[in-house]
Amino acid sequence: MTTGTEETVVRAETAAVSGDDPPGARRSERLSAVAQQHGALVTLAVVVVAASLGFDTFLTGDNLENMALSSAFLAVVALGMTFVIVTGGIDLSVGSLFALGGVLAAWGSQYGTVVALLLPLVVCGLVGLVNGLLIARSGLAPFIVTLASMLGARGVLLALTDEGSRTYLVDKGSFFADLGQGAPLGIGVPVWITVALFVLGAVVLRRTRFGQYVYAVGGNEDAAALMGAPVARTKVGVYTLSGVCAGLAGALNAAWLVSGVTILGSGMELEAISAVVIGGSLLTGGFGYLSGTLVGVALLKVIQNVINQIGSLDSAYQQVVSGAFLAVVVIAQTWLGRRQRVL
Amino acid sequence: MKPIAPLRRTRARTLIATGLVTSLALLTACTKSEDSDAGKGGSSARASDPGQVVASPSGGSGPTCTIGAYGGGKLDLKSATVGFSQSEKEANPFRIAETASIKAEAAKRGVKLLTANAQSQFSKQISDVQDLIAKGADLLVVAPLNSDGWEPVLRTAAAKHIPIVTVDRKINATACKDYVSFIGSDFVRQGERAADSMIEATGGKGEIAILLGAAGNNVTTERTKGFEDRIKQKAPGLKVVFRQTGDFAREKGQSVTENLIQSKPGIKGIYAENDEMGLGAVNALKGAGKKPGDVKIVTIDGTRNAVRGIVDGWISGVIESNPRFGPLAFQTLDAFTRGEPVSEDIVIQDSAYTKANAAADVDKAY
Repeated sequence: MTTGTEETVVRAETAAVSGDDPPGARRSERLSAVAQQHGALVTLAVVVVAASLGFDTFLTGDNLENMALSSAFLAVVALGMTFVIVTGGIDLSVGSLFALGGVLAAWGSQYGTVVALLLPLVVCGLVGLVNGLLIARSGLAPFIVTLASMLGARGVLLALTDEGSRTYLVDKGSFFADLGQGAPLGIGVPVWITVALFVLGAVVLRRTRFGQYVYAVGGNEDAAALMGAPVARTKVGVYTLSGVCAGLAGALNAAWLVSGVTILGSGMELEAISAVVIGGSLLTGGFGYLSGTLVGVALLKVIQNVINQIGSLDSAYQQVVSGAFLAVVVIAQTWLGRRQRVL
Repeated sequence: MKPIAPLRRTRARTLIATGLVTSLALLTACTKSEDSDAGKGGSSARASDPGQVVASPSGGSGPTCTIGAYGGGKLDLKSATVGFSQSEKEANPFRIAETASIKAEAAKRGVKLLTANAQSQFSKQISDVQDLIAKGADLLVVAPLNSDGWEPVLRTAAAKHIPIVTVDRKINATACKDYVSFIGSDFVRQGERAADSMIEATGGKGEIAILLGAAGNNVTTERTKGFEDRIKQKAPGLKVVFRQTGDFAREKGQSVTENLIQSKPGIKGIYAENDEMGLGAVNALKGAGKKPGDVKIVTIDGTRNAVRGIVDGWISGVIESNPRFGPLAFQTLDAFTRGEPVSEDIVIQDSAYTKANAAADVDKAY
């Protein structure tokens, strides 16, 4: 956060300028904010239209349902990540916690649904709490702290499963399995839960005091502290939330796969971070939207689906294509934002 | 307190930051791959190699499956679409040869083939297979990354009566109900043969180490079980003093072996559950200043680099695991869709490479 003061100065200047010329500049600034939020949405719409014109199997009920269901888990992880990134932090432990949550849920499911859900939430929440305390109270860098817990959580998982060789299974007839398998109104339970969590999360982020503290801490930590925002408590809060989200996503995933697969989650933290950033949140903190994150997750999923729709790419080229796709998305989004501002 | 609309400067920063994250994501993906000179040339030549030979006599005693028992109707393979889901990227010779063989056979038979590659991400493999089904695959050939966790795919496939053949690894489910057949090697037997080779190389005495494969699949479990049981039974003088996973990857095999040399300098032999880890072990031994033959290495797969390792004296024996699944997989699907019974467990025959045949047979390796 070395650039914090510089940024504030620049922002103050703009505020002064727009003070001279209120209606036009304010509107363009608001437009640019809208573009920042909806740039990804526009890109998503373009990709979806192109894909549905190019492949007649893209816009089918089955395909959309598959995409929604299989991206629900990443979406829940990215939800927690959005809070963390808006405070200017980063959480690398979510991939490991996702896998650990799945294993704990599958193991706990033998004692009933409550244990299967509570155990991963509590354990992963505690890891998040420790992350938050170390970052907020000891002033350690989020990158290092969460890297350590990423390795630690993976180690715990390996210890619980004989080096990953034992997979705990969920009883297919249990209520817990229904959480992953059920599909009221033709839409999977994990998708419903994800939608509900995003609505709830958006309300918390935009309409509560905690949400305002999250933005304040990310915008300028010193200023936030001077204004009386509980900086440390807010940070502890977001890392705990991120841990809980990762654990919940892992538990839902275990219900869906009816087993605690041990090899999940590696690289998932980067996917979640990508989704959040594609969604328009700033890695420097202080700016971000949950709706953008949802769009980011959808974009990542659609790209993957389009590659499979092509159906004949070598694995090496698949990576090139998905990398190029991401680059185009981010450039388009940035360009859209800038263009809106010039207008 | 409203979030402040960002300026161009911050937006440029977002661009850079996003670029960084993206390239990081790509980088981690890249570091998992191994460079292998065997992989670069001649995959087309390899594709024309003969396919696998079934070990058990055809129509043998094992349980069989028919399309009537599985559900669904007959169809003509020629006009069908086959989906192939590969588990790991085509970076190590086994995967390169496997995918090439499936593609070559599909082209030979004029069958429409859709492919997907999970890049070692299990979540991706589940959605890959569902994508293939949504895209219109009538039949599936799956090389599973993990043995458990296939419920969502099996449910979708069952609802649409799509026959699934799994190759090289098993799915933990019911044959002829959840999937049609499994085609692959007898991994316990591979482990036993590797143990025999190790006993011969070491003289049956000393401390040995195992580089385990990736967790969560039957290949690792069975190659370990076959090896350890045989050692216990035939050579009690050999002690397994070190077991650690190398994730079937060369660089992981190398780093684990580096640790091994530090902690157990007197180690006599290393059993690597695939060639890539074995080649990593060779690199580690070279780095530690050891000479060929100081530590006996036995591996499984039969890739060209490993067979060359026998010629060079670094590797004592390689048990083959034949990856050319194309002909047998399509033959099975063809018979099944015509209504003939197919075996639920199709075990293939693997050969072996030793000092005696390595130089002559190196061109047969993939």
